[in-house]
Amino acid sequence: MNQFLTMTIKTTGAGLLLAAGLTACGGGSDSSTAIPVTTQPAVAGFASQAESGADLFAANCAACHGANLEGTRLGPLLSGNAFLQRWGTQTPSLLLGNIQANMPPGGAGNLSAEDYLHITAHILSANGVDSVEEALTASSDFTIADNVTRLVAMRQRAEPPAPQGLTFAGNTEDFVEFVPLTAERLANPDPADWPAMRRNPHAHSYSPLDEVNTDNVGGLTLEWVWNMHEGDSEPSPLVYNGIVYMINPGNVIQALDGKTGELIWEHWTGPANGQDMRNIAMWDDKIIQATTDARLVALDARTGEQVWETVLADNSQGFSNSSGPIVANGTVITGLAGCARYIPEDCYISAHNADNGDLLWRFNTIAKAGEPGGDTWGDLDDIFRAGGETWIAGSWDPETNLTYWGTAQQKPWVPVSRHLTINDAGLYTNSTVAIDIGTGSLDWFFQHVPAEALDLDEVFERVLVNRGDERLVFSLGKYGILWKNDRISGEFMDYTETVFQNAFTHIDPDTGAVTYREDIQNAQLNEWTSACPSSAGGKDWHSMTYHPPSGLMIAPLSQTCLENAAREVALVQGGGGLAASRKFFEMPGTNGNLGKLGAYNVDTMEEVWNFQQRASYHTGTMSTGGDLVFVGDLDRYFRAHDVNTGEVLWETRLGTSVQGHPVSFAIDGKQYIAVTAALGGTSPRTVPSVIATEITYPDHGNALYVFSLPD
Amino acid sequence: MKNPGFRRSSLFGLLPKPFVQCAVLLLILLTTEISLAQEVYRARLSPMPTTPATVDEITGEGEVILTLNGNTLTVEGQFAGMSSAATGAHLHNGPLAQPGPVIHALTVDQSAAGTITATLELTAEQITELENNALYIQVHSENNAPGELRGWIFLRSHFDNL
Repeated sequence: MNQFLTMTIKTTGAGLLLAAGLTACGGGSDSSTAIPVTTQPAVAGFASQAESGADLFAANCAACHGANLEGTRLGPLLSGNAFLQRWGTQTPSLLLGNIQANMPPGGAGNLSAEDYLHITAHILSANGVDSVEEALTASSDFTIADNVTRLVAMRQRAEPPAPQGLTFAGNTEDFVEFVPLTAERLANPDPADWPAMRRNPHAHSYSPLDEVNTDNVGGLTLEWVWNMHEGDSEPSPLVYNGIVYMINPGNVIQALDGKTGELIWEHWTGPANGQDMRNIAMWDDKIIQATTDARLVALDARTGEQVWETVLADNSQGFSNSSGPIVANGTVITGLAGCARYIPEDCYISAHNADNGDLLWRFNTIAKAGEPGGDTWGDLDDIFRAGGETWIAGSWDPETNLTYWGTAQQKPWVPVSRHLTINDAGLYTNSTVAIDIGTGSLDWFFQHVPAEALDLDEVFERVLVNRGDERLVFSLGKYGILWKNDRISGEFMDYTETVFQNAFTHIDPDTGAVTYREDIQNAQLNEWTSACPSSAGGKDWHSMTYHPPSGLMIAPLSQTCLENAAREVALVQGGGGLAASRKFFEMPGTNGNLGKLGAYNVDTMEEVWNFQQRASYHTGTMSTGGDLVFVGDLDRYFRAHDVNTGEVLWETRLGTSVQGHPVSFAIDGKQYIAVTAALGGTSPRTVPSVIATEITYPDHGNALYVFSLPD
Repeated sequence: MKNPGFRRSSLFGLLPKPFVQCAVLLLILLTTEISLAQEVYRARLSPMPTTPATVDEITGEGEVILTLNGNTLTVEGQFAGMSSAATGAHLHNGPLAQPGPVIHALTVDQSAAGTITATLELTAEQITELENNALYIQVHSENNAPGELRGWIFLRSHFDNL
């Protein structure tokens, strides 16, 4: 018999997922059984409800949201400014509906409607709602903020004042002469630079540097390491002209000397919430960041001083950002997240002038009634059309002047929860959209998975590839399907399944149209449906790499499955949410290997090689001119594989889980390989934490590691 | 097709040619009979669907080797690390990653670690399901009556490179 492991070690590597202000533990982390508490006597008033609710909260909610509503790594705080900003203008009825629809994430279990009322009363009471006497009901419609005593609310704000603005002053010109990043140098990066999230506009995550190659990679050694701020972190460093620009948790940006790791400047843009931001962008002499509260800010790349700021969307309505912008010919293009609420405003991609932040255009990812595609949402009023987030930065093509983005699925997650059917496609969700950079108009779209039903996004990076005369765009979403489309017309070209999936019974080889399994098509409220992959994705936010010399697309993949049950969501303005319970299990036939590295020939779409392991992958893949592909995993390993065979040629182990996007750069002709160790995240962290429980790692240790060959 | 790596042993050279031909034929027939009649399958047992709240309550791991000889399926497996004593184990019919009904009961040690055994007669339909990876094993326990460990059955060779 093979290894026997007593699976008693519990990991806590789960992260946050915003569910209209309240979150699932780790974004899809689920507690399938609600815990009953001792039956309370019948309560007559609000105070008694709150007292009873305190026990229920402790038993069912505190594990994620903290005993004092202060939040944990598994769920956000539900008190103080953050809570009042989100819920102050709403009613208890809406708050109750949201909690009932989304919490606890694994299932309602034994919680009764009365229990939910009591939990709601407790949350309100803890936030200073102390002037209410009558017991809450499902239709209580007073404005929460009107009943909050300021003093009590202030007591909930336990966070110490955070730094703001420039906290470490310096100038990159003390290290190297500054050279503006021009349109030409951004479109065709110098081999020594990594000036954009995936290095080039086509999002290849490929460095042509070849000093480190298959013959000598075994000699890689640590050059320097830089400890980053703690918090949720899935970063992508930029490197330009020898300077490393890093986004830290909580919207903190640092500039480091690429040779030594010495800090040059640090800017706290705020809010200092420890939340994740995946990337930043550079243009001319500016570093441009989106913030977790949906602002767009430009800093002077030399000094870190703020140059301009603009609002992307109203954070008080739930809008946020977890990924930053790209810059195309002086236009800053940014996505948006937090679009699950039933409010008049929907998600969009926006463009701003990189020089001053002026808004240029917005493209709405949700088609409203009367607009093209507006008839794909059944009879739903516009206000109840939700989802379509663009929570991963896109790519762009200097030739066509189009920008390519993936969109997330409809919300809530299951058609029955959103009062729709499997026939209501919901444009432009779960699609590739090609948008004219100059005007913001839609050039074409291709909806990969209409009427998505399992929380499996197709939102991730679009990789642009030229093969002969063909102009192609590749994408790989949570269903694990690698899609190939013509990027001029959007026409479907081909697909391949990179991991086992059983959600679709048929994928039309000519059109790419998918047919859901019948039980998924007809899933009703509170019915469990079992499917693969899970919400951790066949692939998730970790970018794949295109290696031009070999014509291979190499993707970090994940092999897990889920059971999913829809919950009821009332069509009430201000409501909405995600509304499903989920459980996770190993993907059959994988021998328990969560991690899969797969290499695919972009011409034939055949799998050329794969490498599988127990630990899930938590970085994007990066390929190089040295015929190497680098990737990191949950078990703290950072490895170099032969790009043509998958053979492991070098590995090292870092301080905690390896997470982010590896990059490569050169200074004075010397090649460096950089990668971050980091923590936090949603389903890609939560799912391994309940399946591969024997894999443990420190719950701190965010850092940037830089490797090179000995001189 | 000639196998360039194949060489006759000296013993074959000393024996009469008809004898050698008969012996070779018999050997081929026997080998073919065995390979056609017997297939070895494997199931990796891992925890049933779980969440952060139940991950400490649904635990364990196991492996089951299943040998199909004709229509007789011999089941021999082990498990360990369950949260409580096993109360039963079954062979189920269900497509990959989709639960389905029980089709046979298995013998399981009534403990948190132990063995699973059975000798079963499969119908032709069940053999087809076995070949199509549409059978799985599920172990139930005192703490998890609906099931604590589960694993779909594949040809053992499926796992050779995993």
